[in-house]
Amino acid sequence: MIECPSCARRQQPQLICEQCGTPLGAETDLFAALGLPKKLVVDPAALERTYHDLSRRIHPDKYASQNARVRSASLRATALLTRANRTLRDSVTRGLYWLELHGEKLGTNNNQVPPDLAELVFDVQEQLADLDSDKSDAARSAITTRRDEIELMVASSLDELDKNFARWDSSQPDDAKQLTLELKAILSKIAYLRTLIRDVDRALENAKAA
Amino acid sequence: MERIFGIDLGTTNSLIAIMDGAAPKVIGETDSSAALLPSVVAIAPDGKVEVGAKAIEMEPHLTVEKDGRVSAVGFAGGEYGAVVRSVKRYMGLGGDEVASEDRQRYTFADLSGPVVRFQIGKRTFTPPQISAEILRALKERAEKALGEKVERVVITVPAYFNDGQRQATKDAGRLAGLDVVRLVNEPTAASLAYGLGKMATGNVAVYDFGGGTFDVSILSIKEGIFEVLATNGDTHLGGDDIDRAIVEWLTTELPETLKVERHVWNTARIAAEDAKKRLSDAAETKIVVELPGHRIEKLLTRSSLEKLAEPFVARTLKRCEMALSDAKLKPSAIEAVVLVGGSTRMPYVREQVRRLFGREPLSSLEPEEVVALGAAVQAGVLMGTQGDMLLLDVVPLSLGIETMGGVMERIIHRNTTIPTSVAEGFTTAVDNQTHVDIHVLQGERELAKDCRSLARFKLGPIESQPAGLPRIEVTFLIDANGILNVNARDERTGREHSVDVKPSYGLDDEEIERMLEEAIDLGEQDLEERLLITARNDAEQILGALHKQLGEWAGLVASDERARIEEAVGRLEDARKGTDRELIAKLVEELNELTTPFAQRIMDAAIKDALEKKSVEELS
Repeated sequence: MIECPSCARRQQPQLICEQCGTPLGAETDLFAALGLPKKLVVDPAALERTYHDLSRRIHPDKYASQNARVRSASLRATALLTRANRTLRDSVTRGLYWLELHGEKLGTNNNQVPPDLAELVFDVQEQLADLDSDKSDAARSAITTRRDEIELMVASSLDELDKNFARWDSSQPDDAKQLTLELKAILSKIAYLRTLIRDVDRALENAKAA
Repeated sequence: MERIFGIDLGTTNSLIAIMDGAAPKVIGETDSSAALLPSVVAIAPDGKVEVGAKAIEMEPHLTVEKDGRVSAVGFAGGEYGAVVRSVKRYMGLGGDEVASEDRQRYTFADLSGPVVRFQIGKRTFTPPQISAEILRALKERAEKALGEKVERVVITVPAYFNDGQRQATKDAGRLAGLDVVRLVNEPTAASLAYGLGKMATGNVAVYDFGGGTFDVSILSIKEGIFEVLATNGDTHLGGDDIDRAIVEWLTTELPETLKVERHVWNTARIAAEDAKKRLSDAAETKIVVELPGHRIEKLLTRSSLEKLAEPFVARTLKRCEMALSDAKLKPSAIEAVVLVGGSTRMPYVREQVRRLFGREPLSSLEPEEVVALGAAVQAGVLMGTQGDMLLLDVVPLSLGIETMGGVMERIIHRNTTIPTSVAEGFTTAVDNQTHVDIHVLQGERELAKDCRSLARFKLGPIESQPAGLPRIEVTFLIDANGILNVNARDERTGREHSVDVKPSYGLDDEEIERMLEEAIDLGEQDLEERLLITARNDAEQILGALHKQLGEWAGLVASDERARIEEAVGRLEDARKGTDRELIAKLVEELNELTTPFAQRIMDAAIKDALEKKSVEELS
């Protein structure tokens, strides 16, 4: 239980005081901060509306003339709200946060190549090595074509991610283990593909500079 | 509660503004005078300070006498006093960050310290102290013009200012005796000035090319919410660079010894700046600079000016493209372009901006005033008078910590909406380690050494435990001003850890306190001045009202009474021109007493009039 800095009502940690509407500045999970149900399928337009409405109510600019305790609560509440919006509006960061809520992590040294990407990774690395010696337009356009292919793969993984989200939302507790495994696989594939795109972009940038 | 004022603390000029009903207005010295206060501060060796036009008079330059002789005027610098221009460029910089060309212009004390110090006579002055003089001048101007205290302010900063530069700006406010309620990014403020909130939804680009800095911000506006999507800029790119390029072109043929002479350089700079301004309307202009034994006479055409300006303008466009790309928008998705800063008066700059965004930029407000006007609007938001309007700004630079191997690990990415916080877990690397050192950085580069050091702090003392066992959660919180706050908590005990943050650059609290103490003498003088202003305003008010009443209700005052009142009015008018505030207050009081019967008669007559009117209305 925490106490409202304005009306002193004791209540569960939440973004805004249930009695007087003052920001509380308590840490809650990010779904709760936005007043959303703990569901993975999120409507971006509705999310933005909620975020804007709550910002109007709790932002420090609305409490500039209040006492230091209220100002500090407003600052902490708004910091939490912007983090919640940033994390939940993007499906990849939302998925990663979901893993975190389930005590899982993608692992910081995500160096193992997902098996179904092994061939692609090998090909791309070879192409990038070739670009070191051959900076012709043809070599560069071959890489650019490859980059477009990888972008398409990211897009299809994002679709898979959405499907996984929908299944979570209608799942039974027993399904959690399987769904977590799948979620981890999709997210690590996306992370890997994005790293690959970054490598390609760097190589292209260097080739252009040379 | 006092009203909140908006201040644009600019590189070249500064302004103060306030909401006047529904619209913001800038405050001039008098109603008709220009509102721009040149950000120039002259400091004599005895500590006497002049700001603005008076300071410019003391700037070293050459002047041509009636007999054609050229002579030097103004402070030469160092022990003779100094005139500091563009002090904003030094805000938040460490001594080692002063450019070599600046070292030629000013005398600095100890360039190894965490803050730049100008050496003037026997004393040294830091950039926040000098900026505080500008703020104080603005404060006094507004107090005089409006007859109310100026204590709470919003100050604008370039969007691209880092944490240290923002902190230095807040310090300047504190030193000027102001409560800086909020720092606002200049381009964001500018977007508020145009009343674009009325636009239901849309994307806006703000192109802010001032004297010393360049900023671009891309915003999305939705039902009164101004959300910054991306910002980019260069804190060392401005109209000054174009002036310098003109000076170099102008002085190509001069001997080196003359070129580095401060009087010569300033004279050429003034001529260059004037020529640049003339070329906003003219196609070509003649520049004449008289020097002892030398005369420069050159013709500058608009197209050759464009060639000189081209590399700088190209850099601004590159920054715009980066901001658009960060906002994930194409130039065609921008529905309005706002121009800010004196450099956008150049036709060439406007043309380039128009070409990039494919639309005519907005230009109905003065580009030099837009930021101050927007700051006043934001002050209105803080006072709660702007309805649903709200500004959601971003942090311009990524924030991170130094990890093993000197790598910068980003924890808050650039263009993240603020306020925001991120919590990071830390632990110990060896058994029984009692402290963890954390180095906070700001910047976009991969290696810590290429980023700007923001602060170092020590976590601890930590209980003796095997390595890796302690769990300390550090929360990095960036507030709405873009300034970092750090706190730490032991995850197991829940105990708050003290965090002793040592800023890498800038002033520490102790030093600011000391500066404030030093300023107390000046402060008492300030108070005296304020009381004088108040007394004068009271006098003005009663004199004005009386003048009107004596005209409108002439029939209600007997001739001997009128003579006595006029005599008292005369005495007060004389006193008002002087500086004896107690005398002014006494005479105001006397006049008040003397005119009370007259005021009573006016009141009675007015009531009678009103009643008569009413009964006529009732009858009809």
